[in-house]
Amino acid sequence: MKKIFILQFILALFVIVSCKKDYPIDKDGLLITNRADCYVSNFELLGADFQTVRTKAATIDTTAQTINVEVLYGTDLKNLYPQFSLVVDAILDPKIVGKVDFSDLSKPKEWTVVSGNRKVRKTYKVYLTVKQ
Amino acid sequence: MKKLSFKILMSFMLFTLFLGACKEEEFQIPTASDQLQNDLIKRSLGPNIVGGTIEFAYAAGIVPEKGKLSSMTVEASIAGATGTYMDNKFYNTNNTGVDVGTAVGDPSTTTGKTTQVVYTGNFSAATLRYYYKIPEEARGKSISFTFTAKASNGETISYQAGPYEIRSMDMQLDLIAKDGTDCFISIADMKVYNATFAAANPDKIDLIYLYRALTNVTYLHSLVAPTADPIYWPTFTMPTGLKNKSKIVKAFTVRDQQLARIQYGVFVDDVDLRSKDFADAPDFAINVKAEGGVWVQTADGKYNAYIYINTVNNTTKEMRISVKRLAIR
Repeated sequence: MKKIFILQFILALFVIVSCKKDYPIDKDGLLITNRADCYVSNFELLGADFQTVRTKAATIDTTAQTINVEVLYGTDLKNLYPQFSLVVDAILDPKIVGKVDFSDLSKPKEWTVVSGNRKVRKTYKVYLTVKQ
Repeated sequence: MKKLSFKILMSFMLFTLFLGACKEEEFQIPTASDQLQNDLIKRSLGPNIVGGTIEFAYAAGIVPEKGKLSSMTVEASIAGATGTYMDNKFYNTNNTGVDVGTAVGDPSTTTGKTTQVVYTGNFSAATLRYYYKIPEEARGKSISFTFTAKASNGETISYQAGPYEIRSMDMQLDLIAKDGTDCFISIADMKVYNATFAAANPDKIDLIYLYRALTNVTYLHSLVAPTADPIYWPTFTMPTGLKNKSKIVKAFTVRDQQLARIQYGVFVDDVDLRSKDFADAPDFAINVKAEGGVWVQTADGKYNAYIYINTVNNTTKEMRISVKRLAIR
């Protein structure tokens, strides 16, 4: 009988140990890691037809924290879908949940990149110019 | 001891169940019915649109010793439009891949809702194709069909098909818009007009087709509403009175099979046209491409349409388009 109790105790310990969380997660269920890197690696801009509206690759300045994009003549600036590629484990704030209105070219849109450890935040400005 | 017996009994029962479950059932060739039999497939795909065709293949057969086929009849719940018929031939594919037809009787006769082929040859089994041209009175309704085969021994058999919902939308294929001449597009009429007509009927013009090979920017084939910013209709004189601010949303992967008639299994249906969101939509679409398209809402909000671009031609400066349109109020 005593042996059974010992065995049960060991098993319970195993269960407790195996359930221990290795990493914390954020409110979206994403892992919070040790990475402090915080930058945009690529930027894409799609039109209402989900085709790119860029005339060439976007210029990303990770020091100045700016993204410059030239879009095609006749682009519908009110209905664009930006897509960011970020460094590993980083997240974007605010999230992009649908189309974005870029029609006011004098006011660049801003997004903040948050590092994997959620301690570094860098705000990027997206500047659009229309090819003329 | 009692417990042990119980365990043995349970094990034995499980073993028996296992053996039973593994028993192989031998395949038996099904015995063919000696009655008159029939079957049906619907060959046409996609939304059923007024003016379009619903196509079926109706098969019937009887054991040769019992009789021959004497007729095939289709009764539609709503009489088909002109062009409704049942093919009086069945087809087989020869060794060069060509369908070769064999006539079973005279061409079909249609009286009201009923289309019939009377067999004159000596056929015990055949598959005939039925083409139902959707009439205007079926718009927004459901239709069904009763296929009936008769044999020379007096046997009759029927197959019920449907109901099939007929859509409220309209479809127009292969309109040619030509830069400088027939470039004024009317969604209400689903036609392309010239400048003289446009000036006389400005309310009817929803879009203007333009082709421009500009040097610094890509313009090429474009569709603009009369209210678009003049920078989007370069070197073009807008006829006076045109004022419709149509809403235009570009699309690229909506290669509707009925409009495009190519391999993609995509269909624009009533629900797509009805639910399309035109909030903040512009009144221009610059540099549209072949196999692309535009969703359009007319200025008065009466129609939502999808214009598919079948082909564009830079030399002749023209565009071939096909349209699906739904009256939404």
